[in-house]
Amino acid sequence: MWLLKRWRHFIVFPALLLILVIILSGCQSKYEDLDLAMYQYRDTKNLVKFVYDASLILKKEGMKSLAYFRNNPNQFKTTDYYLYVYDMKGTNIYHAGMEHLEGKNLWDVTDKNGKKVIKLVLDALEDRNNPHAWIHYSWWEPGKFYPVPKSSCHFKVETPEGKKLFVGGGINYPHEEQEFIRIIVDDAAQLIKDKGIESLADISNPTSKYNYRDVRVFTFGPDGKMLISPAINSTFSQTNLLECTDEAGHKPFATALKELESADRVWKVFMAKSRYQRRLTKKCLYVRKTIMEGNEIYVAAITDLPEPPY
Amino acid sequence: MAKNPKQYEYSVNQVPPTLHLLISAIQHILLMVTTLVFPILFASQVNGTAEFSASLIAFSMLAAGLGSIIQSVGLPFIGSGYLCPNIVGPSYFSLSLSAAWTGGIPLMRGMIIIAGLVEMAIAPMIQKLKKVFPTFIVGLVVAMVGVSIINQSITSFFGLAFSGDAIKHADIFVGIFSLMVMVLANLWGKGFVKMYCLLIGILAGWILALILIPEFLHNLTVVKDFPIFALPVIGPEFRGITFDFKMVLPFVVIGISGSLKSFGNLLAAQKISEPELKEPNFTPIRKGLMADGFSTVLAGLLGGMAVDTSSSNVGLAGATKVLSRWISVCAGGVFVILAFFPKLITVLSMTPKPVMGASLIFAGSFMICTGLQEMFSEKWNPRNIFVVGISLFFGLSTASLPSLYARAPHFIQTFFTDPLPTTTIIAIVLNQIFNLDIVLGTFRKKKVHDR
Repeated sequence: MWLLKRWRHFIVFPALLLILVIILSGCQSKYEDLDLAMYQYRDTKNLVKFVYDASLILKKEGMKSLAYFRNNPNQFKTTDYYLYVYDMKGTNIYHAGMEHLEGKNLWDVTDKNGKKVIKLVLDALEDRNNPHAWIHYSWWEPGKFYPVPKSSCHFKVETPEGKKLFVGGGINYPHEEQEFIRIIVDDAAQLIKDKGIESLADISNPTSKYNYRDVRVFTFGPDGKMLISPAINSTFSQTNLLECTDEAGHKPFATALKELESADRVWKVFMAKSRYQRRLTKKCLYVRKTIMEGNEIYVAAITDLPEPPY
Repeated sequence: MAKNPKQYEYSVNQVPPTLHLLISAIQHILLMVTTLVFPILFASQVNGTAEFSASLIAFSMLAAGLGSIIQSVGLPFIGSGYLCPNIVGPSYFSLSLSAAWTGGIPLMRGMIIIAGLVEMAIAPMIQKLKKVFPTFIVGLVVAMVGVSIINQSITSFFGLAFSGDAIKHADIFVGIFSLMVMVLANLWGKGFVKMYCLLIGILAGWILALILIPEFLHNLTVVKDFPIFALPVIGPEFRGITFDFKMVLPFVVIGISGSLKSFGNLLAAQKISEPELKEPNFTPIRKGLMADGFSTVLAGLLGGMAVDTSSSNVGLAGATKVLSRWISVCAGGVFVILAFFPKLITVLSMTPKPVMGASLIFAGSFMICTGLQEMFSEKWNPRNIFVVGISLFFGLSTASLPSLYARAPHFIQTFFTDPLPTTTIIAIVLNQIFNLDIVLGTFRKKKVHDR
C-alpha cells in the first residue's frame, strides 16, 4: 500500500534509471570495434559476436583457453551454432560440435558440391573485402542423413605462444544476408578487373565461392547480353537482361543500369515467385560496374530480402 | 456524450491536469512508435539513404500527429472527438512498396492520396448503413480489430524481427515479465498505478531487457550517431506527385479495407467512451472516418507513409479507463514535435520487441473482449450463428493460411487480405442473404395489406 500511494516511484525512478543506462550505453560497448551494421538478421550478428568473443579469449589466454572451451560446453555449443578452432594447415584443434574431428587434417575435405571448405576459409581470411571471413557450403548434422546449408564466419588469431590459428562458427539453415552477395560480387568485379576474360571460368565454377545455395554471380554487358547467365549454365538463349521483367512487370536490370550511370554499385528490389509457396516474394539484385579488357561490364547477384515475421 | 464520468478515470471530454495529460500522452506515444518500424523497413527495402529514411519517418510522424489532433480535437465537420490516435498504417505497407518500386515516392504519394480520398468518399455513406450493422456485427467488427493485431503482437512478444528468426529464452522471459507488470498494475493498482500500467510495464520490461540481453544495450550505441534536432530534408525522391491507372484498383480496395478497420476502431472507441448508447451513433463515426481519410491524404501530400487509426491505443484507453480525447490531441502534438528530434525517436523505436509485443497484447485483449461482450449482449438466433461462424472461418483463415490465398484467383486475393475486412464483408453479405426471407415476408405482408 505504501508503494501504491507513492505512484511516482513506479514511473520516475525506472525512467531515470533507463535514461542513465541509455546515456551510458551510448558512450561505450564491448563490441565497439566490431562493425555489425551491415547485417540485418539477429542470428547473423549473434554468430559474429559469438566467434569474436571466442577469438578474444584465445588471443588473450592462448592454448589454455582450449581447456576452458572444453570445460564450458554449453557456452560454446548452442542449438544454433558451435565453435571450432583450426591451425592454418587445416588441422582441427578444437570442435565443440564434432569432437571426433579433433586432431584430423581436413585440408582435402570437400562438401557435397565439391567445395574445399578449409581452402575457402583461408582465402576468406585473406580477403579484406570480407571482414568476418564468411564462407558458404553444405555440411551435415551428426545422426542425420541429408546435407545442411551452412554459413560460417572466422577470425584469425595469434596466440601468446605464437601459434597462428583461426577460430570459426557456423550457422545451419542461415538467413540470406545482403552482405553475403555484396562480398562475392565485389570480389568477382575485382577478379575480372585483374585477370580479364579468364576469370569468367572461375566465377562460373560451381565449386567456387561465387556460387552457393541459390546464389550465382553473373555478368553482362551494357547491351544486356550475358557473359555468365543467372539462370542457366549456357548462354544459348541470348536473352537480353535489359528486357527481362519481374513478376510485377518491372525491368530491374534496365533501371539498375540507368542508376549506374551515376554510381559504381546499385541495389534493386524486385518481385519473384517464392520457391516453395509459389507466392510473390521480394528479391534483391546487387549490380556493380567493372572493366574487362578495356570494356565496361556489369557483375551481379540476387538474394532474398528479409520478410516481416507476419 | 458520457453522462456518468465517475465510471472513468477521465471521461472523453474531461481535460486531465497537465502532468497527467503529459504522462498519459507519453503512454500512448510508446504504443504509436511501435509502427515506426514500417517507414524504417520501407526505406531499407527501397535502398534509401539514412537521410531518406529519417525524412520518411519525420513526414509519417507529422501526418500521424496532425491526424491524431484532427481526429480528437472536436472540429465541427471532421473528427470523431474520441481518443483514437493515428499511427503509420501497417495494411498499406506492401502496396506502398509496390508503388514506390514502380514509380518511386511520387507515385506512392499519389496512390496514398487516392486511398485517402476513397476513405473520405465512404464516410458519408456510413450513416446510411445503420441496418447493415446490427449489434452483433458491430461486436464482431470490434473483436476483429483486436484479432487483426495478433500476428504483430505475438511475433513481437517473442522478439522476432524477421521471418525465420529464432526465439530466445530471454525474450520470452522479458515479454512475460512486461505483460505481467502491465496486467497486475492494471488489476491490483489503483488510481495512478492503474492509469499508467502500460508505461510502468514498458519501463520495467525495458530495464530487464537491457540487463538480461546485451544485444539491446549494444543496439543503443547507434543513438549517438543521430542528431538531437533535425529538419526533414526534402530530397529529390520526395519531389512531385504522380498517379498510375494500373494501381488505382488495389489502392481503392485498400482504402475500403482501411475504412472498415477505422470503422471498427471508432465503434470500439465509441463503445468504451459512451457505453450508455443503445445503438451506434453514426455521426461521430462518419466524422471520424472523414478525419482518417483526410489524414491519409495529408500523409500523401507530406510525403509520408499512409496513416490509419490505432486499435491498440483504443484498447489502452479502454483498459485504463482514461478516455479523454485531449490525451490524443496532446499525443498528436508531441508526435509532431518528436518528428524533429531524431535522437529521441531512435531511442523510442529501440524499445525491445518483447516489450512492444506485451504492450500490444495488453491493449489488444481489451479490444477482443469488448467486441465479444457487445456481440453476446443481444439474444442470438441460428442466423447470427451462421453469419458469425462462417465469416470467422474465412476471415481468420487469411491470417492462418496466407499462402493459400496467394494462388487464388485475383478477385479472391483482392478481398481475402486480412481478418478484419474479410470477416466484416462476409458477415455483412451473409446477414443480408440469411434475412432475405424476413425481408420478403414483410414485403409480401405489406403488399397483401395494401390490397
